[in-house]
Amino acid sequence: MSEYKYLIVGGGIAGTSAAEVIRQNDKSGTIAIVTDEPDRLYSRILLSKPNFFLERIPFDQIWLKDSSWYEQNSISLLAQKKAVSLDLASKKVLLDDGSAIGYEKLLLAPGGYPRKWEISGGDKKGIFYLRTLTDARNIIGAVKSAKKAFCIGGGFVSFEMCDMLRLAGIEVTLILRESYYWEPLLDRISGELIEKALEKGGVKIFRNSEVAEIKGGEGAKSAILKTGEELACDMVVVGIGLTPSINWIKSAGVAVNRGILANEYLETNAQDVWAAGDAAEFKDSILEEDVQLGNWVNAQMQGRRAGFNMTGQIESFKLVSFYTTIGFGVSIAFVGDVRPIDGRKIIQRGPDEKGSYARIILKDSEVVGATLINRTQELASISKIIEKNIKVESRESELSDLNFDLKKLVNG
Amino acid sequence: MIKKVVVRRDLCIGAASCVIAAASVFELDAENKGVLKLKDGSKNSGPAGKEDLEDAGIDDGTLLLAAQSCPTKAIFLYDETGEQVCP
Repeated sequence: MSEYKYLIVGGGIAGTSAAEVIRQNDKSGTIAIVTDEPDRLYSRILLSKPNFFLERIPFDQIWLKDSSWYEQNSISLLAQKKAVSLDLASKKVLLDDGSAIGYEKLLLAPGGYPRKWEISGGDKKGIFYLRTLTDARNIIGAVKSAKKAFCIGGGFVSFEMCDMLRLAGIEVTLILRESYYWEPLLDRISGELIEKALEKGGVKIFRNSEVAEIKGGEGAKSAILKTGEELACDMVVVGIGLTPSINWIKSAGVAVNRGILANEYLETNAQDVWAAGDAAEFKDSILEEDVQLGNWVNAQMQGRRAGFNMTGQIESFKLVSFYTTIGFGVSIAFVGDVRPIDGRKIIQRGPDEKGSYARIILKDSEVVGATLINRTQELASISKIIEKNIKVESRESELSDLNFDLKKLVNG
Repeated sequence: MIKKVVVRRDLCIGAASCVIAAASVFELDAENKGVLKLKDGSKNSGPAGKEDLEDAGIDDGTLLLAAQSCPTKAIFLYDETGEQVCP
């Protein structure tokens, strides 16, 4: 049985950032990263971007580490191996090839997996999910000959896929189960601003709709909607959410909810086991809530923090994270916790005639998050307001005033 | 010693890792692209001399971390001899 001082499950940005920090702080401790993918660290966030898909930027831009980096830093990359079970008592992780790896300290950063589209014909050729570089390579191949594509689901990936497919000259139909884009996370005004941009860009949107079946031979030829309508398509991109694959972690006795539960130091309930990235449901010390986020900067910074904490430089994880995108002439940014859950108040900022609109989400008179349409330039101010726990109790009319400069709230 | 900073707008996707690593230097503009906050109050993607940054005193380690954390390798740093330090 091989043994490592630091074992990291997950070779994405969380796991690799942790390994990098660990090596900086512990020059001699052995480190291994287990990944079920064949590739070294690449820029997963770039995968859904049109410029990458349409090969407008060199493919090699995707690599974030040289293949020599692992060896130079004495980090063993155990690729194409899946962790399948964990024994906390004997401190061992079992892989799908039957081998066992011992650890002193373990980081769980397995990421998320696309939720499977459970419909008849849903496994035909031409139906794609986007998670890995391999998935992206397959989509890049398909885009070259596809004429009519379906995108399933509303969200960041679907938005970026619609953009890429339209730029590639493909007819695009977007199927939304909801009555508007990103319901219920966004309100109808925001959703409709995004839909207007999509439609102007040539995307046909079916709302309150679901595909019942994909027909064709080996490959997809058409989609039959639940209304019975049949529409031709030779390619489908499914983006209906991510689910972490954590049953094996739960079975071991690590506490999980929707994700792997971790405290503000990213420690799980198990001795010498940490969690980071999309699969971690951590105690957010700014929001004072358990949150699970699926964005690049969160995974990157959690990986770094976990790396420090695993090497004894212990601090709590503190970050207001965000994700932004741009396409069809509209920019979208989410900051902090954007869930419109019970007890939260939402301040509307706009919209104005140019289609810029923000929603600022309050909990107990403090800002916890915001959604910004065409207002990315306010992201920095809002992050600061959240981070500094600035009380906005008596400032709600200013928050809703598009002419009020939010920086004034930051500077007091 | 870092002397010059540039954000390549064609590569930038607005992931904002740089903003998190060095908020006194980087910000996103209305096009979701990274810009540098300059001493004269203006903001652009550079090239800018380090001495022209609003936070001209930022340490090289923080600038380097910001550039290295970019998921599209869009931040270019140069030293006093013009040599590219990152990426």
